[in-house]
This record gives sequence, structure tokens and C-alpha cells, in this order.
Amino acid sequence: MPMYGDLGNKLALHAKRTQNLAHLPPYQAELVRAVTREVRDLDKEVTTLLEPFQGSFDPAADHATACTLLVNHLSMRRNKRCLLAYHRTRTDKLEEHVWNGVDVLDLVAQQQAGGGNGAAISGEGGASSSLSPQEEDYVRQYGDLLAAYKGQWTDIDLTGSLEPPRDLFIDVRVLKDAGEIQTEYGYVAAVHGSSRICCAGH
Amino acid sequence: MSYYDIDAILTDAEKIPCTFQLDIPDLGYLDNTPSQPLKAGTKVNLPLWLAEMLVIANTGAADNKTFVTFDLPRALGNDVVQALKADPRAVPLRDQSAHFYGLATHMLDLSEEQELGSVLRKTFVTRAAEISLHARKVGSIGHKAKSKGEGASEMGSNLGLGGAGEEFLRGLDEWERSLFRKAHEGAKAGKDWIESVKKN
Amino acid sequence: MDIDDILREVDPTFHSIPKEKQDLQELTRAWIAERSAPELLPWPPNGLFERINDNIKSQIEKVEEMTGDMDPRTNFALIVIQTELERYKYLVRSYLRARIAKIDKHTLHYLSTDNLRSRLSEMELAYATRHQALLHNHYLSSFLSSFPPQLQNLNDAAGINMVETPDLDAAVFIRLLKDVFVEGRGVDSDVTMDGRESDIVILRWSDAKPLVEAGQAELV
Repeated sequence: MPMYGDLGNKLALHAKRTQNLAHLPPYQAELVRAVTREVRDLDKEVTTLLEPFQGSFDPAADHATACTLLVNHLSMRRNKRCLLAYHRTRTDKLEEHVWNGVDVLDLVAQQQAGGGNGAAISGEGGASSSLSPQEEDYVRQYGDLLAAYKGQWTDIDLTGSLEPPRDLFIDVRVLKDAGEIQTEYGYVAAVHGSSRICCAGH
Repeated sequence: MSYYDIDAILTDAEKIPCTFQLDIPDLGYLDNTPSQPLKAGTKVNLPLWLAEMLVIANTGAADNKTFVTFDLPRALGNDVVQALKADPRAVPLRDQSAHFYGLATHMLDLSEEQELGSVLRKTFVTRAAEISLHARKVGSIGHKAKSKGEGASEMGSNLGLGGAGEEFLRGLDEWERSLFRKAHEGAKAGKDWIESVKKN
Repeated sequence: MDIDDILREVDPTFHSIPKEKQDLQELTRAWIAERSAPELLPWPPNGLFERINDNIKSQIEKVEEMTGDMDPRTNFALIVIQTELERYKYLVRSYLRARIAKIDKHTLHYLSTDNLRSRLSEMELAYATRHQALLHNHYLSSFLSSFPPQLQNLNDAAGINMVETPDLDAAVFIRLLKDVFVEGRGVDSDVTMDGRESDIVILRWSDAKPLVEAGQAELV
């Protein structure tokens, strides 16, 4: 016998799987609709349960109804959490793509056109897009937001590599005796006419 | 407790045995009998997200009764605790629950099980040392680091750890798996760093 | 050998503008601290980043000017300046990204009070506000708008608090800048020690924070 919250849990399992995948699996539109419907049904049930009391329900006087109301309330809250976390997991992934410069919408378009590459990101997406229409909007809007923020730091290239620049070794011809020079790798003697390796940038 | 954390959400779906303390007409569906009232004394396995509040919530009656009482789930039952006391490393926690420690933490919040707490603490410390050992071994024998999402069992089987190590890694719960990943990445990053220093 | 020393040799005027060197040091410190601290630190005051941005701009112009000049002496300087420029850009980029990551993770938390909001730069504040609005909108159009009104909030504290906060008890390393008494809370018992200057200590950020803010220690 399925109970309230079971469907929400399926969403959580989808989210867990999504976290571990490089690509974004298809949006679970049916499941999202079903869990949302469950919340509305629970809310209606609450209204029906409370109707006979006409706004003066006393939990201490009717424990059984109080308990049912609590269960309904908790089930709604649980469903809400599963829905939010599921959507958040996906937007996190979408944002990551935007930061990495992956054109998510372009990939979706290819996939819909039946292009071979599309299947690679959709996994089992088939003919339909792995993004919901709302997610497609979100990607567009977040892309604009990031572009605007990046635009304030044009010289930095905010989405550039987060690998620190490598040490740069430079050949230095010694023009005059400079005695010992301290580098982080120890002392080198800079004597006229010799070639030395210097390290810049650490 | 993190609202959006998927592992926390899945932990909250773990079920524990509960006993209802009063008749409730509309909740028969929880015991597979939607058309019948739920009778006092009925035992039902309820997910933590539901059980926790029902256990805490006061019915408002004079005798301070709660809606339900609960027992420890089998994952934290006497058999498991005895086995953990004997050798924490020999118990595949994952077979008890994928979120073993998460479940245990919730249960400890609800009950005053002093001994359980100390057994679990010793369990974690002992197993953590073993996990760290494996995580480093995996790095040092020159195997490729696996990508983040892969299960510990795959990590173990592809890395030539041998039967016992592989079996141990397969039995890690989610929290331990993330510890393994972090320890492994840490060991690998340390190794890479030393190599890059040597090269220079 | 420090990059500054090289630059001083190449360009004797370098040392006459110590403000730039000071700014670089400040940036480096802010970068290290931001990457270590579990929570967002205040945006540096006094227009540090405006100066840094200007500085990077002028360096880029310099590089463009110097490119094409084949005199080996200036050519060498060019390489040094380019290297420094890359490093500078990396520091700023990495610093900003560390901050954005924290802001994205706990957006509602950082927007929740004036005090927390004041830690963000103007641009970050605009970004965070807009980002949160986009997310809220996305939830609404995907499912939330068909919820009963009392269930539509994203900041309920009943049950599990929906506004997630950074873990202020996460461990950090600090270097003591002065001889100072250090107190750290533990799981079983608390620890105190007479710290000496340049000691490196690992402790909870919540215990380290007062020392760092008082200038008695720095994050490493």
C-alpha cells in the first residue's frame, strides 16, 4: 500500500542519481505533477477534516483528528522538501554547465533534432528534451545574470581556469656579477657570462 | 540538518517500528487497510520524517501520552550492536542501512541509549582508520583515481585490493563512502604535489 | 626571489609606488582567508578592488605597448610583467569565485539581515538578489504556485529550517600573529593554550574568528 511521501522519495532518489552523473537525466515531469497533486489532495483533506469544527478545532479534545492532521501536515512538508531539493539539484547542475561555458540549450536543440551528439548528454532522453521548459528558461536567465556579473570584471575572465599559473622558468643571461642571488630553491651565484635559470612567479 | 541535502532527505525515509497508542479512524491506510480505522496497539513501520514528530508530539491528554511509541530498528538492534562490539570492521553497515550513521544519530536524539552511542562512536573511529588506510593504499599502488560518483564497491574491485578489503569497502555506508572519497582525493593530491615539487 | 624584487630591478620606479605592493599583499591575504573560512568574509573596504582593477588595466595596456618591441631588455620585462599579470588575474578570479560559491550555497542566509548583506559587494548583492529571484520563480513556475499559499514560503523555520547556514564549527588553520591565549571547544572537553607568535593552530572557525578579527591571528 503506497503511502503519502512515497512518490516524493522517488524524486529524492532521482536527485541522488543526478548528483553522480555528468549529464542531466530527463526531467521527471510526471512524478513532479503527481507529488504536487498529492500536496493539493492533502490540503483538501485537511480542509474537509476541519470543516465540522467551523474554525474552533481543539486538538486536546479530539486526539485522533489531531493526529491525522499532523500526519497530513508532515506529509505536505515532506513532499515540498523533496520537490525543492529535486529542482535545486538540477539547477545546481545547470548552473555548473553555464559556468563551464557549456551551451545547454544548444545541446538540447541538437538532441531534439535527432542529432547524434544529443544522446550523449541526455542518456535515455529519447526524442524529448531532458530539460523542462521552465528549466530552459532558467538556463537562459541564469546565463544572462552570469554574463552581467562577469561583465563587471572583463579583465579577469571570471570563468577562466582555477588552476594557478605554472611557475615560469626564464633563461637569464648574466650581464654583470651580482654575487649570490637568493631564490626559493636556494642560492645561485650570478657570475658574468654564465647562464642561469631563474624562477618568476611564486 | 540541511534542508536541501539529498542524503539527509533519504536518511529521513529510513523506517522505524512504531506502535500507535490510540485508535485513529482516518489512518488505516498506514497499515494497508484504508477502509478500516487504525487500532491502538497496531505496529507500523514509519519513515523517520513522520515517526519523529509523532513520537515527540504530545496528544494534549492529561496523561502526557504520545501518538506513537517506537522501538529501535533492526539495523541498530542487539545482534548488530553485539557484532560491532566484537569487531566493527567485520560488519557491512550498508546491509543494515545505506544511511546507517544518519539513522543512528536520529535514534540517539530520540532515546537515551547511552551504550549505543559509545559503541557507535568506537565503531566509527575504528572503521575510519581502516577507511583511511584503504584510501591511501589505493593511491599508492598507482591506480587511476575514480570519478566522484562511483560506488565504493567499484572502487574496491577495480583497484586490486583483494577480497577482504573489497568486501569491507562494499559495506561502507554513505557517510563512510564520502569519507573514503575525501581521504582518497587528499592522498592523491598530496602525492601529485610531491611529484610536482620533485619535477622542479 | 620575490616577483617584486625582479620588478624593482627591471623598473626602478616600481618601489616608489608601494601602494600597489600593499594592495597585492592585501589581496593575497584576503584570498587565502576567503578560501579557508567556512563563511563569507566582509568585502574589503577602501576601494581595494577598484585599485586592483585599475592596476590590472594599466598592466594590460603596458603589455600591449611593449609587444612588438624586440629589444631583449624590454622583452624580458614583458615576460615578467605578463607573468605577474596572469598571477594577479588568477588571484582576483579565484577570490571572487570562492565568494560566489559561498553566496550561491547560502543565498537566503546572506540576504537575511542588513549585517550579513553588508559583507557583500554591491555587485555581489545584485547578483545574489537576482539569483534568488530566478530560483524562486523557477520553483513557482515548476510546481510551487499550485501549492496552498501557506506552503509556498522558502524561508520557513518550522520543522527543518529552510534557510541553510554555513557550518561555523568547521575546522580551520590559523597562524598566530601575537602571543595570545587560545581557547578551543572540543567534543568531550575544551582546550586552552598559551599560544606563541607564529604558532599554527587548528580549531573551530567559531573559536578562531574572534582572534582573526582582532588581528591576533590570520587564516592559512
